[in-house]
Amino acid sequence: MSVDIRLPTALRAFADKQEKITVEAKNVGEALDALFAKHDRLKAQLLSPDGKLRSFVNVYVNEDDARDKQGLATPVKDGDVVLIVPAIAGGATLAAESELTKAELIRYNRHLILPEVGPEGQKKLKNSSVLCVGAGGLGSPLALYLAAAGVGRIGIVDFDVVDESNLQRQIIHDTLSVGTSKLESAKKRLLALNPHIAVETHETKLSSANAVELFQRYDVIADGTDNFPTRYLVNDACVLTGKPNAYGSIFRFEGQLSVFAAKDGPCYRCLYPEPPPPGLVPSCAEGGVLGVLPGVIGTMQAVETIKLILGIGKPLVGRLMLYDALEQSWRTLKVKKNPACPVCGDHPTIAAPIDYEAFCGLKEKPANMIPEITVEELKAKLDKKEKFVLLDVREPHEYEIAKIAGSKLIPLGDLPQRVGELDKAVKLVVHCKMGGRSARAVQFLRAQGFDATNVAGGINDWSERIDPSVPTY
Amino acid sequence: MSLKVSRALERIVVETCEKAFPDEGCGLLIGPVPGAFDAPGREVAVDEARPLPNGWDASAKTNRYLIDPRELARIEAELSGSGRGVVGFFHSHPNAPAWPSPFDLMMAWPCLSYWIVRVDGGKTADSRSWQRTEDGRSFVEEAIFLEG
Repeated sequence: MSVDIRLPTALRAFADKQEKITVEAKNVGEALDALFAKHDRLKAQLLSPDGKLRSFVNVYVNEDDARDKQGLATPVKDGDVVLIVPAIAGGATLAAESELTKAELIRYNRHLILPEVGPEGQKKLKNSSVLCVGAGGLGSPLALYLAAAGVGRIGIVDFDVVDESNLQRQIIHDTLSVGTSKLESAKKRLLALNPHIAVETHETKLSSANAVELFQRYDVIADGTDNFPTRYLVNDACVLTGKPNAYGSIFRFEGQLSVFAAKDGPCYRCLYPEPPPPGLVPSCAEGGVLGVLPGVIGTMQAVETIKLILGIGKPLVGRLMLYDALEQSWRTLKVKKNPACPVCGDHPTIAAPIDYEAFCGLKEKPANMIPEITVEELKAKLDKKEKFVLLDVREPHEYEIAKIAGSKLIPLGDLPQRVGELDKAVKLVVHCKMGGRSARAVQFLRAQGFDATNVAGGINDWSERIDPSVPTY
Repeated sequence: MSLKVSRALERIVVETCEKAFPDEGCGLLIGPVPGAFDAPGREVAVDEARPLPNGWDASAKTNRYLIDPRELARIEAELSGSGRGVVGFFHSHPNAPAWPSPFDLMMAWPCLSYWIVRVDGGKTADSRSWQRTEDGRSFVEEAIFLEG
């Protein structure tokens, strides 16, 4: 039987803009199956995951609601019209739901008695949403304080598992959670702290493909990332979606704090138009970090986030705060909006997220053609007793923690002065902790005329894949 | 992503919602169907706001609305082939935020604009428009541009 299916305006975009689709079918169910066979995206809109028609979908055969007849088994004949009509309904959350419950009134008492917060402010927090990018050092205190403060919906993006070396600073996780997903561990902890909130986990690597869509679902974005490509991505996606970015970053004993991409405020690119050359700024994993430092900075990010939600005080817009834990000092610098900024300036050239790995120069490595070997290849060379010098370019204190037998230590920073200790006639194989510093050493040595090769993954890979008795750190 | 609407049409929306107070008011937004209606950045220009009765039963009209599907089907048929269509809906949240509720999300269709007016004690207090994401998991707010 040849029947016409008519689609409402809302669904035509999923069916090549057609309003009428002719199919062959004996009953309504077959007609819909034939429709889905032609237009796959319609299926997800009309059927629930278990294959039933969603409750807000009405199907009419000519004038009659199919539900009043035989549902999907309702027969159709030549020339019938099957009409898909949305049930349009909705409505406010019951007042009781958006209001503070008795339990919440008790829990948030110390907020409620602050005139600057009060019941109205606390309701704002309850009806607000924050996305924490990363459940690591900064994300730990940040998410904990937001949860404790009663931010109604907290999203977290991360894709890592809890490692023992995280626990020196990532206080949202605990010893029992080592080896489990950071998201699950964080969610469990946050809901244990405050069952009145919702925690949404996004187990994915934030990327140019998903950032804009994800950011649109939240009111404030809090950047707790540890690398430049993601930092620029978070910045650009914040500007593009108009969401303020409560930004923090940490390194060794120092931290930075600001609010970027707020209305009329500067963005991260206004401050740093270009990323540093790859490898110049080591990550926390390479350079180390004082464990309590992310506690200071992440907590300050929570302060800024809550101020943004409540609309109180003076948000850290147009100001960059620099914290030095050793000096125990804060400095504040002014940051101006850059009219020529490619993303938030007067004539922006970036209209969608770009390729941030390339922007940060991280894709150039293969082009430089640094010869590289794996730890397995290194092991084979050592076993065959090939003639080469294994050069370790880490710091002496790292060398004390873990080393590969027979290696020679020259820290990267000392290499230019001590290069004379090396013999150009002998091949060099260079390693560090993870392969970053040694790659720069190899580049330097090759420029000096040495035959140097990098060990990918460094001593961490070595202890993981070759010799577990070498500690990882 | 945006909703373009004239001030005259905004008046119709606001007045419908205020008149319905303490019940929810509702109606259709009609206009040319955008080329890429499902695109996250699409723009919708409304050229007609058509108030409709709130069809929810009397027990919960203060926090629910329903548009009669037969009436909707009739209007879609009337617009068929004209290039215009039902591009969105408006409804009010009496004494509640102009944010979509979980029930709004559960019932929401893709592409369309969902314009929500907060009416406090009979007076409009806030007005925001939203589009559901294709995966149906959330709403994204869109700008309302008032013209004329």
